[in-house]
Amino acid sequence: MLFSFDSLATMFHGIAAGGMALMGLFAALFWLYATRSAENDDVRPPGAASHQAFAVLMVLVAVALWVTVLGGTYIVFPTYRTPPPEGVVALVDYPRAYLLSDAGTAWLHAFAMESKEHMPWIASMLATSVAFVATRERRRLWADRGMRSMTVAVLAVVFGLVSFVALMGVLVNKVAPVQ
Amino acid sequence: MATHQEDVPRTVVAADEAGGAHANGGALAAFLGAGIGSLAMGAFVVLNEAGIFAAPSFYGPTGGLSGRSTLAVVVWVVAWIWLHRRWRSRELEARTVYVATLVLAALGLLATLPPVWGLL
Repeated sequence: MLFSFDSLATMFHGIAAGGMALMGLFAALFWLYATRSAENDDVRPPGAASHQAFAVLMVLVAVALWVTVLGGTYIVFPTYRTPPPEGVVALVDYPRAYLLSDAGTAWLHAFAMESKEHMPWIASMLATSVAFVATRERRRLWADRGMRSMTVAVLAVVFGLVSFVALMGVLVNKVAPVQ
Repeated sequence: MATHQEDVPRTVVAADEAGGAHANGGALAAFLGAGIGSLAMGAFVVLNEAGIFAAPSFYGPTGGLSGRSTLAVVVWVVAWIWLHRRWRSRELEARTVYVATLVLAALGLLATLPPVWGLL
């Protein structure tokens, strides 16, 4: 087989689920920017259909993030951290051990992967809070400037986090791919 | 006799003046719950690295991460439910909650960074 299950799972985790989350986050942030107050700009305030669409987008983003973090934690990470059997010298099939075996690559585990372990959980919680607010407060979110600003702030944090974590994943998988 | 409402700081604004069908308490509970969950995630990382509390490994192949993340999610969900039940019908002072949420999230994130818990 050309691609192993672990390799496919890693690609799904990073590109499909994680990529979908990143695109959705960017779309949500752009949406909030593009529909900012009509009092200050010549922008028509969004209607009920737009409110609902934004809520759907945020729910999809939150779901994508949870799929990403759960798949990463329970499918990809175990393969990554599997210790090599006794006596094995070629560590390329054991990504964590491989990275730690060389001082030049050790930071990819000690910093990059260690960061990736916990930050996505925080991103997922924050994104879920926005999805809840977007769903429950569909009209108010667009009328209440403070709530909109908070939503933008939280989404910006989540987008930054997910972008950082995604970059770390690309670097790790480039040097020590899960096969 | 102190009422349930008196021990929660708030500025009461009529819900329909605020432009929505609900009071803002439910939304604030969601935000602050996520902030609390974020702090919990960071706290479990720091506690583990300091050797004070190592979360159990609920799934062997994932190791301690399964415990830390599960416990953080439990804290998040419990905090959110608790706050939602207290605040859902109330119009509260939002700015304080927003700031608290962002501060808690920032602290939680900082605590997950290896250079930070590496100081321990």
